[in-house]
Amino acid sequence: MAGLAAASLGAKDSRTYRRTPGLLAWLVMLPLLAWLVLFIVVPTLMLVVVSFADRDALGRVVYQFSFDNYARAFNWIWLRVLLQSVGYALVTTLICMALGYPAAYFIGRAPVRWRAILLMLVMVPFWTSFLIRTYAWITILSKEGLINGLLVGSGLFAEPVTLLYTPFAVILGLVYNFLPFMILPIYTSVEKLDGAMIEAAYDLGAGPTRAFSQVIIPLTSPGITAGALLVFIPSIAMFAITSLMGGGADPNIGEVIYKQFTAGRNQPFGAALGVLLLLIFVAALWLTQRMREED
Amino acid sequence: MKHTKHLIAALAAFVLAGCGKPAPSPTTEASVPPAEPAAEQATSTSTEPKTLSVFCWSEYIPQSVIDQFSKETGIKVSVENYASNEEMLAKLLAGGGQYDIIQPSEYVVGALIKENLLHPIDHANVPNLTNIKPTFLNMSFDPGNQFSVPFMVGSVGIVVNTDLVKEDIKGFADVFQDKYKQNIVVLDDAREIVSWALAYKGLSVNAVTDENVAAIKPLLAQWLPLVKVYDSDSPKTALLNGDVAIGVVWGGEGAILLNEDKKFKWVIPSEGAHLFVDSLAIPKQSKHPMNAQAFMNFILRPEISKQISDAFPYTNPNMAARALLTPEQLANPASYPTDEEISRMEIFTDIGEQASKVDEIVTSLKVQ
Repeated sequence: MAGLAAASLGAKDSRTYRRTPGLLAWLVMLPLLAWLVLFIVVPTLMLVVVSFADRDALGRVVYQFSFDNYARAFNWIWLRVLLQSVGYALVTTLICMALGYPAAYFIGRAPVRWRAILLMLVMVPFWTSFLIRTYAWITILSKEGLINGLLVGSGLFAEPVTLLYTPFAVILGLVYNFLPFMILPIYTSVEKLDGAMIEAAYDLGAGPTRAFSQVIIPLTSPGITAGALLVFIPSIAMFAITSLMGGGADPNIGEVIYKQFTAGRNQPFGAALGVLLLLIFVAALWLTQRMREED
Repeated sequence: MKHTKHLIAALAAFVLAGCGKPAPSPTTEASVPPAEPAAEQATSTSTEPKTLSVFCWSEYIPQSVIDQFSKETGIKVSVENYASNEEMLAKLLAGGGQYDIIQPSEYVVGALIKENLLHPIDHANVPNLTNIKPTFLNMSFDPGNQFSVPFMVGSVGIVVNTDLVKEDIKGFADVFQDKYKQNIVVLDDAREIVSWALAYKGLSVNAVTDENVAAIKPLLAQWLPLVKVYDSDSPKTALLNGDVAIGVVWGGEGAILLNEDKKFKWVIPSEGAHLFVDSLAIPKQSKHPMNAQAFMNFILRPEISKQISDAFPYTNPNMAARALLTPEQLANPASYPTDEEISRMEIFTDIGEQASKVDEIVTSLKVQ
């Protein structure tokens, strides 16, 4: 009987600990909630509502229910643009991972007094506007630019090489811009990594490869997933890079949506494409969440 | 917690640095105390508050011109920029800003008049309208200039880098050849691209019917894979950097290239070209129509209009201002096509909902 009483008492206790937030807590949370509702929930709902509407000749939204925008969106033209954008984002994420992991590991294992400086170096490019950095790449990669000047000037190449306005330039621009978003979360995981665990792995007979794949990678996986999401999601619709460095010949889904809101004068259709893109983001988040839970 | 701070700083920096297209620049304000009245001043006799909100294209009205207007009239001017007619239209129709002056192109003026969205202009308030060349007055989109005054005129034409292209390029048929594959820059503008194909087929640039669009699709399917760069904002960049040899670009961009280097040649397409007339107009809901008309009259003043031409070498429709330009400026064929050439150019009319279809055709051919 005593045991039973203790169990029920324990249950009661846990209930009291998990009680609903009091008035003060709600007041403290109010600004955050208001922000979330105003700038995330309301705009998303507006997007969904508009995606089922129609428009007039000047592009004004006419609130008349129809599925036409979604019917039109499931066309090979738009799906191809979407797949292409996701493809670029995946390649970007993988390259960022390959480059970012060693960098983050090195910074995280460096002597403490060096870490702040190394981290700052990762951040330095962000002191300049994104557009200025992108235009700098245009001057570096163009046919009469820095690299071609060196290649042709040194006699290595007779003709300038086409670097700008190619898929290579797009990937370069995306990796360059998103690499810090991979390095920083992995760094936080590496910094927390317990050296004793690695030593234990070696003591138990694991080689460097085994220690890395079975101890270091699993222990830093939260940083890897966070970094992958931070790179993958924004790079899908990053059309400034595809149009400035890619020449706009491979349209990006972000650009296609932007054009529906402007030149195409079809906000409802743009909204429908936006909702589909949002669903991809939700799916990506859900997948990583599930992977994390399985771990 | 230290690393969390770094992360937040990174995100904040990213957001602040801006992650979109070259965005319209933020509102700039030119506020200057009222100057002493003088004989030549632009006068605003109205009782309106001394403010004016101008919504204009980026890179079209020099800041110095705005400042001079403020200095003379004491009217505080706020300027907001846009990069396309449709961007302006979307913001105007959403009722976001209370704009007093907008700068639409001809087909948008026509559409806005049709929807009764413009404020009429009293010509007594804009006496400098007489400086405009009669060719550019009383045009089909606004008979009698009841709602708009011409700001700048221009055309779309072909720029050839003669160092790289030895052949004599005459029109679109010569540009879109397999041997120039991946060597071409064009405007990133679906309506423009479609109009070139229509002109090539001998159709009117405004005949954007389903039937005609279907007819030109195979032609565009041949043309578009040859294009290396799509750029409406600064197509001159790819030409200047040597990344492409031929471009189909705005006249003003062509004029800058011609001034930059003698190797560039301007060609008006033999198949026909499009003439655009960018105008100044007053939205119906404007609260300062008198200030807006004072601004229009100021812009049409010869020495002011000349300053605009110095900065942005489009075709100036203001004959009194042209008299102040140098012979070199007037001899630039991209800025000043001959009257005969202009008479062969067509102006756009509004295509309404077809805009969506035109965009779809061009997007589908880009990803093919």
